[in-house]
Order: sequence, then C-alpha cells, then structure tokens
Amino acid sequence: MTTAPATSDSSWTRAEGASPGWLVVLRQELRDLWLGGRGLVLIFAFSLLVGIIAYLVATNTDLNFLEQRESTSLTLQVAIAIGGMLTLLVAADAVSGERERGTLETLLLSPVSRRALTSGKQLAAISLWFAAFLVTVPYVWFLGHGVGIVDEALVAGVAVGTLLAVFLASLGIIVSCFAASNRVSISLSLFVLLAFLAPTQLPAGAQQAWAGDLLLRVNPLTAGERYVSKIVVSGHSWTEDISWLLSPVIGAVVFATAAVLVGGRYIRLRGGVSG
Amino acid sequence: MSVAVEAVGIGKRYGSLVAVEDLTFAVESGVVLGVLGPNGAGKTTAIRVLTTILQPSHGTFTVAGIPHTRPAEIRQRVGVLPESAGYPERQTAEEYLRFHASLFGHSRPSARAVARTLLEEVGLGERARSLIASYSRGMRQRLGIARALVNDPQVVFLDEPTLGLDPAGQRQILANVRGIASERGAAVLLSSHLLAEVEENCSRVMILNRGHVVADGTVAEIVRQAAAPRSARLQVAGEHTERAVTALAGAAGIDGVERFDGRAGLLNVVFSSAGDDDGKLNLAVRVLLDAGIELRSFELEGARLSDAFLAVTEDS
Repeated sequence: MTTAPATSDSSWTRAEGASPGWLVVLRQELRDLWLGGRGLVLIFAFSLLVGIIAYLVATNTDLNFLEQRESTSLTLQVAIAIGGMLTLLVAADAVSGERERGTLETLLLSPVSRRALTSGKQLAAISLWFAAFLVTVPYVWFLGHGVGIVDEALVAGVAVGTLLAVFLASLGIIVSCFAASNRVSISLSLFVLLAFLAPTQLPAGAQQAWAGDLLLRVNPLTAGERYVSKIVVSGHSWTEDISWLLSPVIGAVVFATAAVLVGGRYIRLRGGVSG
Repeated sequence: MSVAVEAVGIGKRYGSLVAVEDLTFAVESGVVLGVLGPNGAGKTTAIRVLTTILQPSHGTFTVAGIPHTRPAEIRQRVGVLPESAGYPERQTAEEYLRFHASLFGHSRPSARAVARTLLEEVGLGERARSLIASYSRGMRQRLGIARALVNDPQVVFLDEPTLGLDPAGQRQILANVRGIASERGAAVLLSSHLLAEVEENCSRVMILNRGHVVADGTVAEIVRQAAAPRSARLQVAGEHTERAVTALAGAAGIDGVERFDGRAGLLNVVFSSAGDDDGKLNLAVRVLLDAGIELRSFELEGARLSDAFLAVTEDS
C-alpha cells in the first residue's frame, strides 16, 4: 500500500520536500513542450523566419536602403511579434487543449488549486518567448554590432518582448478557459493578435495624427514595438520615451492578474461562456 | 465500518434540466457500491459532484468525513477514474504517474516510488517506460486506476472502467477493483452498464434513473424490491407438450403457460408475483414430475439484476 503525503482532518499539507503545485505543473508543461518536441518545431520555424528576414534586410537590394539601426530594429520587432504569437498559441491551447484531449478532468481532480494550474501553464508558454529571444540574439549581433547598438537592442528587446509575452500568454489562457473548443480558442487568439497588430498598417500620416498616436500608445503591441524603435533606431535614452512602455506594462499586469483570477474561477470541464 | 461517503439530498441542475435530484445514500469503507442507470441517468454527474468537479445545486455530502465545503481536502482523499479519461500520448506511464503523485504533494523520490509500486500493482511494471501511445485500451484503464490510487485514497470512484474492454481486460480491471476494496479498505463506487459485472463484484447496488435513486440495496434486495415479472423456460419432450401445459396451467402460483411457435416442448411459465423464486421453480418442476413428464431443461428468468434494472428504469 502506498503512503500519501501528510494529511489531517482539517487541512492538507504537501509532503516535506514536495514542490508547490504551480511548479509541478510548470515542470511538466516544460517537459511536454520541449522534450515532447512541439516547442522545438515552433522554434525551428521561428529560426527560419527570422533568418530569412535578417538575410533580406542585410543583403537584398530592394531592402538594403535600410540603415543598420533600422535593420536591427526591424529584425527585433519581427522577433518580438512572432515570439509573442508563439507564446499566445501555446497558451491558447493550455486549457481548451487539455479539455479536448480528455486530460483536464484528472488535473482538476488533484488538490492543486486551479490558479496554480493556469499559472504553471502560463509560465511554460512564456518560455517560448525566451527561446525565441535566444535565437534572435545572433541576428541582432550580426546586424547591430557595426553601429554599436547590440546591447541596447538586446536589453530593449528582452524587456519589451517579456512584457508582451506575459500579456499575450495571459490573453491566451483567458480565451482558452472560455473557448468552447481548442480550434475556437486558437482562432480567436490569433484574430485578437492580428487586431492588435493592425494599427501598424495605418498610413504614416494617420499614425502621426493624435488619434493614430493614441491608438498606437494604448495598444501594448504597437507601443512596445515603437519603444524598441525609439531606442534602437533613434538612439534615445531608456527614459526619454518611457511613456511608450506604459501600455505594455499595464497590459501585462492587468491581463496576468485577470488570467490568475479567471483561471481560479472559470476553468471548467466544459468550455463555452455558460460553463 | 466507518462511513466513507454520505450524501444527503444532493441535486444538480443545469437550468431547467435536472441531472441529479435528491440523491441520498451512504457507503461504508471496504464496500464496493455499484452505481447503475441507463444513459443520461445522472451517474457521471453524481460522481462529478461527489468528487468536487461540479458544485451541487443543493444538498450536502461528506467524503471521508470531510464536508463538501472543503473541496481541496476531499480531492486529497479520493481517487477517480473518469469516464473516457484521456492520457498524454507522449509520456511514459511512469512519468504520468510521477506527475500526478507530485500534484498530490509527493516529493520527487516519493513520487517515483509510488509510481513504480502502483504500476507493478496493476500489472504494468514491465511497460512502465513505454509511451502511453503504445498502450491498449485495457492498459490505459489500468493506468487510470493506478493514477486514481497515487494518493492512497479512502474513496475510489470508477466511472465505466471496463467500457470497451475484451473479457480478459474486464476480468483484470475487476480484479483490481476488488483489491482496492479488500486490500486497501477503500470504499469503491463503481459506475457501470454491465449488470453482470456489478452483480458479481458489488456488495451493494444503487440504480439511478433520470437523476433519481430508484433502487438501493444488495442485489437480492433490489431484485425483490423491483418485483420484476418472474418466469421460467421449461423444456419437455415434444410429445408431452399438451400434457405439460394442462398440468402447469392448473397449478396454484402459476399465472400462465405459453408455447413457443415451432419449438415443440419449449414452454414459458409465468409465475404469480407472490412467493420466492426458488419455490416457484420447485413448484413447476414438481407439477411436471407428478404428472410423469420428463423435464429436459429449465431456466428461471426474471430473477436477475437485469430484470430488476429494466423494471425500475422503465417504471419510473
């Protein structure tokens, strides 16, 4: 007969040396993501894409009018956007995917809190961004070392990218909790991401008008990318355009809090808003 | 024996749909309670309420003495094999159990030890390091039972554990189920459609229909409570058919005798509802023997759980 961790009639305590629930979930999710191969496939695709973009901005005659700072900034911004998208995709699969594979019920049957379950999954999704950033480092070095902006570009990239990854992972988790199916969760998440990226396609004039400027500032994705551009391309100091970091910070904090609250309350066996 | 599960007036509604209504019962430790019911009877919902996956709309319950208002503590004390449980295909059985043991608060070395012990216990020790993707359905069900035991639970809920298994697989699972109750002393709630397996393995049976408990007791008690129509099939030599019909039709306690078209000598004897089953069969046999008619075979019908099940689920 096996021995369960210490229990009492009034409360349950984990055995000495046992990891907290969120860490157990995080470890397992990381193992599934990276040893299971899904993360590696996504990062391989990411590497190809960033490699092609870096090659084009560095060598293509149609694009090489870009100054080195602009090439570095463009590559970094693409890496942040695609790395964020990968994070969003993994997070969007986190709950609805378990539900669809029939493995959610056994997780919910454990004494680990539902918040701990979503927190572990959220952190595992964010690991994709860090992997994507590591892949981007050599490209940024290659493009930026001639003009001495590698350090600034990498620090700005990791800071903004991490804020946006937290924001997008939280968004993905929230959508995944409510979505009626995994397909809906992933489609809806991608649609929201595209909606966030849409303002970058506005004409330059519209972006500079007050309404366009406001839209870019309140949108965490466009604001974050603009902040990176200000530092890498314009050579501004960290604090000079700090107001552009406001919405990425607020987005990350608000959505991360919402994801924890939603995860604690709304992870259900059946998807859909009626639960 | 201590009470492992006690439910009082549990109900679960989804809007106007009543999934479970006024569910009241108690199960002692070491008992295997069979939970029967047709599709949509509320078996799975009842299990999900008792395992705190769903909140009851009304009513109260305790599991291992813990009130339903403390769900995390209840989950620490129950083991569950859900209906149609999924498994991570790319994990090995050992990884899977280690993960779940860790969720239940085991340290890493302890989780490893628990995983190995349980895999041996359910007969999967040799395949512990194989990917779950390579497991048959029966092996997955046994793995699910092992997972349900990682926390050494006081109450085990098994929802259709033998669904889709071949007879050998069913036998293995049922041996595991009996072991949980007898060796571990845990209460087992076994939901099943297979009446024969419930009849053989359960100390008690509860039948649900449309969310209500329509019968509760031992198999014998339920068969009696259900007052299922009783009949017997008798086979006599073809040339004695008419004499047998006449003799049986005139006997007290027999309501009717029917012939089967094209099958001379085969008779269906319908008994009155009063009296015990064995006595009725004895009566029919004696009537025939007294009339000098040789009996070639006989089979008492309507004294099985399946008849009682049909009677109580069709009536209500």
